[in-house]
Amino acid sequence: MVLIEYPELEVLITRIREISGFDFSGYARPSLLRRASRYLSGNRMNLGELLLHIEPGGRVVYDLIQELTVNYSEMFRDPDFFVKVRNDVFTYLESYPAIRMWVAGCATGEEAFSMAILLEEAGVLDRSLIYATDLSNKVLTSAREGVFTLSNIRTYSENYLLAAGKNSLSDYYHVAYNKAVIAPELRRNIIFSLHDLTGDGVFNEFQFISCRNVMIYFTLELRQKVFRLLYDSLSMLGFLCLGKRETLRYSGIEDHFKIIDSSLNIYQKIK
Amino acid sequence: MKTADDEPLSLVLIGGSSGSFSIFEEILKLLTRPLSFALVFILHRGKSSSSSLPELFKTKTRVYMKEPYHLDPIRTNSIYFAFPDYHLLIGPDRRFYYDVSEKDFFSRPSIDATFMSAAVSGIPVKAAMLFSGSSADGASGMKALAQKGYPTYVQNPDFAESPRMPREAIQQSDQHKVLNENNLYQEITNILY
Repeated sequence: MVLIEYPELEVLITRIREISGFDFSGYARPSLLRRASRYLSGNRMNLGELLLHIEPGGRVVYDLIQELTVNYSEMFRDPDFFVKVRNDVFTYLESYPAIRMWVAGCATGEEAFSMAILLEEAGVLDRSLIYATDLSNKVLTSAREGVFTLSNIRTYSENYLLAAGKNSLSDYYHVAYNKAVIAPELRRNIIFSLHDLTGDGVFNEFQFISCRNVMIYFTLELRQKVFRLLYDSLSMLGFLCLGKRETLRYSGIEDHFKIIDSSLNIYQKIK
Repeated sequence: MKTADDEPLSLVLIGGSSGSFSIFEEILKLLTRPLSFALVFILHRGKSSSSSLPELFKTKTRVYMKEPYHLDPIRTNSIYFAFPDYHLLIGPDRRFYYDVSEKDFFSRPSIDATFMSAAVSGIPVKAAMLFSGSSADGASGMKALAQKGYPTYVQNPDFAESPRMPREAIQQSDQHKVLNENNLYQEITNILY
């Protein structure tokens, strides 16, 4: 395993910014260091060799940015979270004539599809819109296609059952050429679009925002800025959901929320 | 005013997988006095294991135990456990960081992830130990720590329930000290206190 040090990581961040304009300076260093080390190990090169290879418009810098930003997700990740949302949050959301949800940092769409299934099973998908955003066009393209490997689907099916799914996950996809394709009906009310949480602003008002395991990639300072954006994008009494090990602490907005579930990190905006 | 960040902090890192659970329990029982370091345990567990280790181990020691949250400061005289399905990283700013990127050797948490992040964190590592397990996880992390000059200890594979993990570590680096079965817990006590 190639191990790089923090000062070297800063050199890499600067170089990527010079070459591509993509700025990692607001990203949490420990995770970035891990990914950069893995990238180097996987490509059997050291940092010096990588720096020689990255050039403007080149393939390497593009690959590297993808590798350093990509999020791994699952459908119904943390099934107990979905049970809680189904039982305690949906009763509230159902009272709205139109439901607007935002899945921020949606990667390849797993969370958005899970939410669509929840809405479908609550009988409200038709009057809901899910905005699923990410900063990477590549993952969004993949999300729009809604294609998953069958081995991933096995994990998702287990999660779905644990999340008290009402049907079978196979009701929501069909299999073609050894891949699972998410049903078009489910994708109908999802809008996948480009949005950079760290630079772009408010684009709508939502009653529900899921931003799970995204904030862990940002530095403390950038995190506060992104939290502010999420706060500003939520309607009063709207819900904010974070990952299991994340917290509203150190966010600067903790006083504006009521805790709905502390272990699952579900919060409601109260002021 | 003196803040927590001014206090000296050192780390003891302990990793293990199958066959290590009871060793972890025994080590906790050794911790009867305040610790001059922060102890970080990385135990491979299934992502669905919902039981919290501090809850499970609460009768073993009176030292403060926690499954930390993202950005929690690392404090001395505390015991921390990695949370299932996340990598637990140690930051140079003495905080914990989480990462949900790909698994190492089919494991999240990965021992390598935590150990390697500790190796470059700048926080002194008083000791790192690796016990029984059936994958190669931990070997790279142990090697990185040893290369930094930190003391590293590996369970003798001949006595490990699953010898693969300690064996792989020894194969990748000859700098580790081998812990033998006959005086295992006495040696660990000597290392910790």
